[in-house]
Amino acid sequence: MNVGQAIIDATTEVFSTMLMVDLEVGKTIEGRGGDIPANITSMIGLGKDIRGMLAVHCPASVAKDITGSFLGMEVTELDEDVKDAIGEIANMVAGNMKISFAEDGKAIEIAIPTTIIGDSFRTSGMFGAHRVVVPFTMNGEVFMIELKYICSNGD
Amino acid sequence: MGKNVLLVDDSSTMRKIIGRSLRQAGIDFDNIYEAADGLEALEVLENESVDIVLSDINMPNMDGISFLREKASRDAIKDIPVLMISTETGDDIIGEAKALGAIGAIKKPFTPDKVNEVLGPLL
Repeated sequence: MNVGQAIIDATTEVFSTMLMVDLEVGKTIEGRGGDIPANITSMIGLGKDIRGMLAVHCPASVAKDITGSFLGMEVTELDEDVKDAIGEIANMVAGNMKISFAEDGKAIEIAIPTTIIGDSFRTSGMFGAHRVVVPFTMNGEVFMIELKYICSNGD
Repeated sequence: MGKNVLLVDDSSTMRKIIGRSLRQAGIDFDNIYEAADGLEALEVLENESVDIVLSDINMPNMDGISFLREKASRDAIKDIPVLMISTETGDDIIGEAKALGAIGAIKKPFTPDKVNEVLGPLL
């Protein structure tokens, strides 16, 4: 299974269906990399055959754009609505990833998203986990989807 | 007399999107009630006149499956139809929801057309 392509397919479907936005897709990054700059990150835990975490990392501008498009109004600050909207993006991308992994014979259970806002933070996952990051551009600004995971069957 | 709908989702954003999708699909309700989880939904159903429920599955406090199970045990509200709107699409969990009385399911993400296609014939 091409996990990077699955992230791309999952994410572009969410944005085209719910926001009517066609995203530009950047180059997939695999393995360890530098810090991901973000003002808001929504993480969703994965369990069963694929254990780990899917995260949506957004600069403030993208997070406000997404929320404004969802709600049909201008959003000027990172508030509870923005946390909720980015969490819902994480939820729907994870849901689509669940379908992709199921087609590959792997079952996933999805937790409820957790969202944090800040200027300086980093997230860390399990030792030895696979890491795949895909950058996307929306209205000229970049946000990233990151998947850190371990297959229970050792794949 | 018009119809009333209850939207059950822990995301306030998603409740707003579903409400907007109903309007864009041309489905008008007199009242749109909201609940953030199954517990709140049961309280609304016990106190308001609701014709149909659109419910998420993965929610804190009481999830959509537990909500269906509890609702089925209460005579006053057990016959109110529930349509699931969720990222969950697996045959196992949707099958369990239908076994507990759900009348169908819409996958997130969704379009207003999809909402109309599934919900329209049920009203």
